[in-house]
Amino acid sequence: MIAYLLRRVVFGAATVLGVLLLLFVLFFLVATPDDIARKAVGEKALPEALAQWKVTHGYDKPRVWNPARPTDTMLAEHLRRMLTFDFGRSDADDTPIRERLRTGVGPSLALTVPLFVVGVTLAIAVALLTAFLHDSYLDRSALVLSVVIMSVSILLYIVGGQYVVGKVLRWFPISGFDPSPLVIARFLALPILVGVVAHLGQDVRFYRTLFLEERGRDYVRTAAAKGCSPAQTMRRHVLRNAMIPILTDVVIEIPFLFTGSILLESFFGIPGLGTITVDAINANDFATLRVMVYIGSLFFIVGQIATDIGYTLVDPRVRLE
Amino acid sequence: MKCFGAVCFVASVAALLAACTNDPYPNANAHDRVLYLSYPIAPKTLDPAVAYSVYDQQVTGNVFDTLLEYHYLERPYRLIPALAEAVPHPRLEADGRVTYRFTLRPGVLFQDDDCFSLDGSGQRSRPVTAADVAFGLARVADPDVASPVIDTFNRLDGFREFSQRLRARRAADPAFAARRIDRQYADAGGIAGVRALSDTDLEVVLREPYPQILYWFAMAFTTPVPWEAVAFYTGRDGRDNFADHPVGTGPFRLQHYERRRRIVLERNPSWYGTLHPEWHAPGTVYPSSGAPGDAAAGLVASDLAGRPLPFLDRVELWRDPESVPAYMKFMQGYYDQSTIIRESFDRTVQHGLLAADIAARGLQLGKTTLATVYYLGFNMDDAVVGAAAGDRGRALRQSMSLAIDADQFLRLFTNGRGLAAQSPLPPDIFGYDPAYRNPYRTVDLVRAAERLRAAGYPDGIDPATGRPLHLTLDVNDTAARSLLMFQFFRDSWKRLGLDVEITATDYNAFQDKMRTGAYQIFWWGWGADYPDPENFLFLLYGPMGRTRSGGPNNANFADPAYDGLFTRMRVRENDAERAALIAEMRAILERECPWIAVYHSEDYTLSQSWLHHVKPSALTLPTAKYLAVDPGERDRLRQAWNPPIRWPAYALLALAAAFSAPALHRAWREGRQ
Repeated sequence: MIAYLLRRVVFGAATVLGVLLLLFVLFFLVATPDDIARKAVGEKALPEALAQWKVTHGYDKPRVWNPARPTDTMLAEHLRRMLTFDFGRSDADDTPIRERLRTGVGPSLALTVPLFVVGVTLAIAVALLTAFLHDSYLDRSALVLSVVIMSVSILLYIVGGQYVVGKVLRWFPISGFDPSPLVIARFLALPILVGVVAHLGQDVRFYRTLFLEERGRDYVRTAAAKGCSPAQTMRRHVLRNAMIPILTDVVIEIPFLFTGSILLESFFGIPGLGTITVDAINANDFATLRVMVYIGSLFFIVGQIATDIGYTLVDPRVRLE
Repeated sequence: MKCFGAVCFVASVAALLAACTNDPYPNANAHDRVLYLSYPIAPKTLDPAVAYSVYDQQVTGNVFDTLLEYHYLERPYRLIPALAEAVPHPRLEADGRVTYRFTLRPGVLFQDDDCFSLDGSGQRSRPVTAADVAFGLARVADPDVASPVIDTFNRLDGFREFSQRLRARRAADPAFAARRIDRQYADAGGIAGVRALSDTDLEVVLREPYPQILYWFAMAFTTPVPWEAVAFYTGRDGRDNFADHPVGTGPFRLQHYERRRRIVLERNPSWYGTLHPEWHAPGTVYPSSGAPGDAAAGLVASDLAGRPLPFLDRVELWRDPESVPAYMKFMQGYYDQSTIIRESFDRTVQHGLLAADIAARGLQLGKTTLATVYYLGFNMDDAVVGAAAGDRGRALRQSMSLAIDADQFLRLFTNGRGLAAQSPLPPDIFGYDPAYRNPYRTVDLVRAAERLRAAGYPDGIDPATGRPLHLTLDVNDTAARSLLMFQFFRDSWKRLGLDVEITATDYNAFQDKMRTGAYQIFWWGWGADYPDPENFLFLLYGPMGRTRSGGPNNANFADPAYDGLFTRMRVRENDAERAALIAEMRAILERECPWIAVYHSEDYTLSQSWLHHVKPSALTLPTAKYLAVDPGERDRLRQAWNPPIRWPAYALLALAAAFSAPALHRAWREGRQ
C-alpha cells in the first residue's frame, strides 16, 4: 500500500508541475508583463511608471531563457515560489498572498462545509426514499423534478433565489457576509439554499441509480428471505454497499471546499477564496491566480489519493497494490 | 409520539421563519448618522501616491485632505483653499520657471495614530508642516513607490533628477536603502523645486508654465504624508502596510478595512474643521453659493450655509461584486445611493424622469454629464484616412463623420445615457459652448456622399480596385455586446458604400498596434483628471503623438496651427481670450476631423429620500462630508418596505406534506413488514 501511495504521490507531483508550466504558458499567452503592469498601475500610467513597476515585481526578467544567469528568469522564479510555498505578494494590490489565503479560507469554508454536508445528506436521504419507493408516483415525480433541476443553470438559481427569497419574500439578506457567529447564518442561509437546490437534481439521480443497482443484488433477496424488513435491508445493506461509489463522488469534493465557490461567493458578496480568484482574473493578478490554481491542483491530487485510501476503509475487498 | 415530532418540526420551522429578516446590518444602530454605499471592486491601494481608481479614491478622498479642493456646488468647477490658506498665484521667474507659494494653515493635526509614537514619546498625533507635503511629493518621485502620475510631476524642477539620484544611491549602497525613508529622501537631496521654507510655507517650482498643476493639489497625490506612517507601516512585525493604513488629516479616518467585504470610515475628531470651527475655512463649512438651480433643488439655503461639516458620523462601504444584488438592496433601502443597472433602466427612468412608482418611493434622480469623451479616431499617419492623403483624406473623414448618428447610438447602447458630442469638450468644462453645432456631427447622408465623391471614392468605390473602399476599425474589446456596438459604426459607413472591417483584439494587442501605428480607425474613450480644457485638447496636441512619442494623442494628429493655439491656451487663465483660442482650435478640429467625437457619458444616480445635499459631479470627488442622512426616516421606511412574507413557506410545506403523505405512509407500512 505504501508503495502504491508513493507512486501516486510521484504521479501527483508530476501533474502539479505540468499544471504550473501550463499555467505559466497560458497566462503569458494572454497577458504580457506590460499588460499586468498596466492593470496594476492604471491605464493612464506612462511607460516610465510601467517599467518601474515591472522592475519592482520581477517582470523585467527574461521569461524562460537567460543564458547569462539561467536561474534568473520569470519561469524559474515562478517555479521556485510555488514549490517552496513562498507565494509573495499580489500583483494587483501588493498584499501578501499568504495573508489573503488566510483571510479567505474562513468565509469559503463557512459557506462550502454546510452546503456540502446538507447537500449530500439531503441527496442521500431523498435518493434512498425514492429508491425504496421505486416506481411510485413520488419516485417518478422526484425523477422528473431532478431532471428539471439539472437542466437549469446555477446562475438562474442564484438570481432567482435572490429575487424571490431575498427581494419578494424578504426572508434573508440578498447578499452580504458577517463572520460574527450570532448572525452568520442569516447571510449564509440563502446561498446554501440555492447551492443545495442547484446540486440536488444530479446528486439524487446518481445516488438513486446506485441504490437501485444495489437493491437488485442477490444479497438483498437473501436478506429479505431471512426475514429482514425492507426498511432494515435498505438501511443496513443497500445504503452501506452503495456508500462505496458515493464515497468516490464525495471525498474528491472535500478538498475543493477550501477553494470556495466562485459563483456563489461572487453573487452573494462572500469574501472567500472564490472571490479572490475572480478578482485575480479581473485584475490580471498573475501572482495570486497561479497560487489559486496551484492550490486547486494540489487539492485535486490530495482528493484522489484520499479517495483511494477511503476505498480500503469502506470496502475490505479493495487493497492498494 | 410521531405527532409530537411533527409538531416540533413545524414549531421549529415557524420559529426560524419568525426570526427571518433581510436586514444585512445586524449590528447597526438605526439612529446613527451613517451613509451606506456599495462598491463592486475592492480598492487596490490606499497609498495616496498611488491610489488612482474610483474605488481607491472613495476612501483616500475622504481620509486625505489636500491643499486645495473644489467648490462643492459651483459649476464650472472652481478651486478653493483647503489645507492651504489661499489658492496661490503663479510667479514667473526670469529664467522661465514658475513658482507657486502655498501657505498652510497652522495647527492642522494628523489623525491620531500609533505611528506617531515611533520615537517612544507616546504622542498620538502631531501638526502638519510644509515638510510633510514635500515628503508626499518625494514619495511620488520615489521609483519604489511606482506612482502612476510621475509624468505629470516631472514638470517640477528637479523631480526627475531626485528620482534618478534615489534609484542610483539605493542600487549602489545597500546601507543607504536600509535607512529610514525620510533620511533617504533628505540624503538624496530632495526635490529641488519643492522647498519647505518654514513649517507653514511651501514653494513649488515648475520648469515651465503649467497652471493645471493647481488641480493636482486638489488630489490626494499631493496630500501631506507623515514620514512616521511610511516608516512604521512596513508590513513587517505584524504591522499593516502603509497602502492599507492611511494616516491623513481628512474629515474621516479609516476605522475598519476589509477590502473584500466592508470598509468603514468614521468622523475624524482631530480634523481641522472640528478643532477650529472659528476659522470658518471654506472646506469645513457648507457653502452659501452654488450653481444656477441649486437653490431650487434645496442645495443652497440660508439655514445650511456655514453649517460645520461633516454631517455624517460614519460611512459604511459594503462590497457587492455583482450589480444586480446591490441594486436590489438599494431598492430595499439598505444602500443610500446607487447607479441604475442596465437591466432596470427602462423601468426606472422614462423620458428622462423617474417612473411614477419609483418616484412615489421618494427616490431622487441625479443626472450629470461626466467629464469624458468617447470617440472614433483616425490615424493621421495612415496613407488613406490620414494627413498624407491631403484633401482626399480630409473629405473622407468628414464623410464618415456625417454618417454616424450619435443619438441613435446612445438610444441603442447606453439607454440614452449620454450627450451627443460636438467636440472633445464636455459640459461644465471651460470652453464648452452649448450652442455650438459641428456641421460634420449631424447625420446627412447626401452631404456625406458628396464629400465621399470629393475624396475620390464615389459611392464608396475605390477607383484603384473597383470595389468598395476597404478600411479597418480597430477596437480593444472582444465582448459580444461591444461587437454589436462596433457593428453599428460599420453599418453606418456601409450606407455610404464603404467596407469597414472590425478588428477586435484584447487591450494589450490593441496597445501594441497603437505603439507601432498599425491602425486606421479606432474607438477610444477618455476621462478627465481635472476640469480644464487642456485635459481634453492635449489629446490632439502634435508633440504628444502616440506612435512618435508614446503620448496620449492616439490619432497622431499634428497640425502646427492647432499646436500653436494649444500652447497659448494651456497657460492662460479662464478668460475671453482663452475661450477664443479654444473656439479657433475647435474650428481646426471641425475642418480636419481627426476624430468623430461620439458622446460624453452621463451618470444617472438614484438617492434615497433620506439622503440630503446630493450634488452630482462630473469628476470623482470626495463629497461625503457634505452629505447628510435622516436615520429616523430611513429606519421607518426600511421597516415599511421589508416585512417578511412567511405564508408561502407554510403553504410549500403543507403542499409537500400532502403530496408525499400517501407514499410515505406506504413506505412506513412496507418498511415494517
